Amino acid sequence: MTDQTTQSSYKAESPALEAWRMFRRNIPALVGVALLAVIVGATLYGTFFYAGDPFEVVWAPHEPPGVTPDFPLGTDYLGRNLMAGMLTGGGPTLTVGAAAAAITMVIGITLGALAGYYGGWVDNLLMRITEFFQVLPALLFAMVLVTLFSPSLWTIAIAIGVVSWPQTARLTRAEFLKIKELEYVTAARAIGARNKRIIWRVILPNAMPPLIVSATLTIGVAILFEAGLSFLGLGDPNVMSWGLMIGANREYILDAWWPVTFPGLAIFFTVFAVSLIGDGLNDAFNPKLRER
Amino acid sequence: MSALLAIEDLRVTFNTRYGQVTALDGVSLHVNAGETLGVVGESGCGKSITALATMGLIPMPPGRIAGGSIRLEGEELVGAAPARMRGLRGADIAMIFQEPMTSLNPVFTVGAQIAEAIMLHQKVSPDQAFKDAIALLDRVGIPSPDARARDYPHQLSGGMRQRVMIAMAVSCRPKVLIADEPTTALDVTVQAQIFDLLNEIQRDFGAAIILITHDMGAISEMADRVAVMYAGRVIEEAQADDVLDFPQHPYARGLIDCIPALGREDHALREIPGVVPPLHLLGAGCAFADRCEHTNARCKTEKPLLAAHGHHPAACHAVEEGRI
Repeated sequence: MTDQTTQSSYKAESPALEAWRMFRRNIPALVGVALLAVIVGATLYGTFFYAGDPFEVVWAPHEPPGVTPDFPLGTDYLGRNLMAGMLTGGGPTLTVGAAAAAITMVIGITLGALAGYYGGWVDNLLMRITEFFQVLPALLFAMVLVTLFSPSLWTIAIAIGVVSWPQTARLTRAEFLKIKELEYVTAARAIGARNKRIIWRVILPNAMPPLIVSATLTIGVAILFEAGLSFLGLGDPNVMSWGLMIGANREYILDAWWPVTFPGLAIFFTVFAVSLIGDGLNDAFNPKLRER
Repeated sequence: MSALLAIEDLRVTFNTRYGQVTALDGVSLHVNAGETLGVVGESGCGKSITALATMGLIPMPPGRIAGGSIRLEGEELVGAAPARMRGLRGADIAMIFQEPMTSLNPVFTVGAQIAEAIMLHQKVSPDQAFKDAIALLDRVGIPSPDARARDYPHQLSGGMRQRVMIAMAVSCRPKVLIADEPTTALDVTVQAQIFDLLNEIQRDFGAAIILITHDMGAISEMADRVAVMYAGRVIEEAQADDVLDFPQHPYARGLIDCIPALGREDHALREIPGVVPPLHLLGAGCAFADRCEHTNARCKTEKPLLAAHGHHPAACHAVEEGRI
């Protein structure tokens, strides 16, 4: 063979392995993974090491952190154990965040893909529906949904999902509009692939990088949304969450900074970790960056 | 003997902002089994539209097949059910595209893509399909096909990718292989290799090849017969040697004069003045009239028809009247 080839020196691996090779060289992404692992680990297993009821009044109110060894983070305005609240409050927040992001992605990608691929009246119909949801004030609409159906983790997750999918749908549609004109889509049609296969197997994998970033951002936004709803008193009152802690203690922030600050920092670091991971995934799934 | 693929009086129109334009205006072509038909012309002459129409891939809307027929072994393809066309595409009619850089899906390995093409038309296990894909890569002359099958498109050179495209196109032994400028994006040395490969593939598989190109060198290398297209019409059709040696239509003569000849320094290259007119501005006369040195009053008012006046069929009043 005289045909010149760009022979790569390494043996090609499965796409997942290659993505992992890229990902593990990305320091910020690994920091994100470590951070998220600590947060998730603490919410899952923290109560084995530090048992306590977050709702029970156990001590004097507004005990500062680091004074009483039994309550290392102090107590809130009712004298409830903040350490117990921090450890049990992460679970609902993370669950709602992940579930809401999953709902957002499923609705958004499905509608965006169909609109972008088929165009014409399908596009018109789906985009008008999308715009209808987009012009609704998201927080207000979520509040209405949560109050209509009694607040529970699932209704909150669904409410957040229902108000956040339009952005994902528009992003997916834009990617599909761009990619469906590319030659490899025509080539896929030329080998006899049907629409279903072209949408899910040809175009969607190529549209994933921005959607993965969007998904991680959505997890962050959903966590903030859950915190916001709880802050407004619309969360599940029977479940201690970081948002509920902030909401309950916000009036006393001038008297005691810690009952608001600790759950606030927890939310901040969770969203931060998820964003770092999202950026890392974006780079890892981009085949053009793999060789570097 | 009736042709393997016969296109008759095909008309394709597009709705544009200039109104409806006719991209193909009564195109008739045919190709027999084992034969290579060269289709030449400048960009915008309707070569690619003809190919896409044959594949059933004209975007509709804005496109529309306004008339004519495309028959594969007697079966009418114009207006055939989408499911039937899907079954034919890739299996009986396959296509190689111009840009090997962009016609492979960047996120899957080339082996997986060929295997997928195989599995679309044949009932085989994924493992078997991948083995077949490796065998095809070997067949199209890719060294260490085992390893290359696990490469992504961006890891291969342009020539390699075009070989992959050819492997994919012939994976189901198509009866008709449409090659739409398969070497335009490649180096000259690689072009020759791809032509050799296409010739070999044709011998082995007995496929008919429709080679779309604007490169007369490719025609002389590959084609048995040639159809010259201009502004959506076939303006000259004959055996390849006849067109190359005795071009009739002034446009065909122009195309041949554009070929540089090695070792003939006195031979000044002649260009064809002007460009292909926009389709919405085509008038009643010959579409080439504005660029032709033999134009007379009749050329501007009456469309010439493809008929044998001189050596072989050409659509030109000047040839018909014996003026050139």
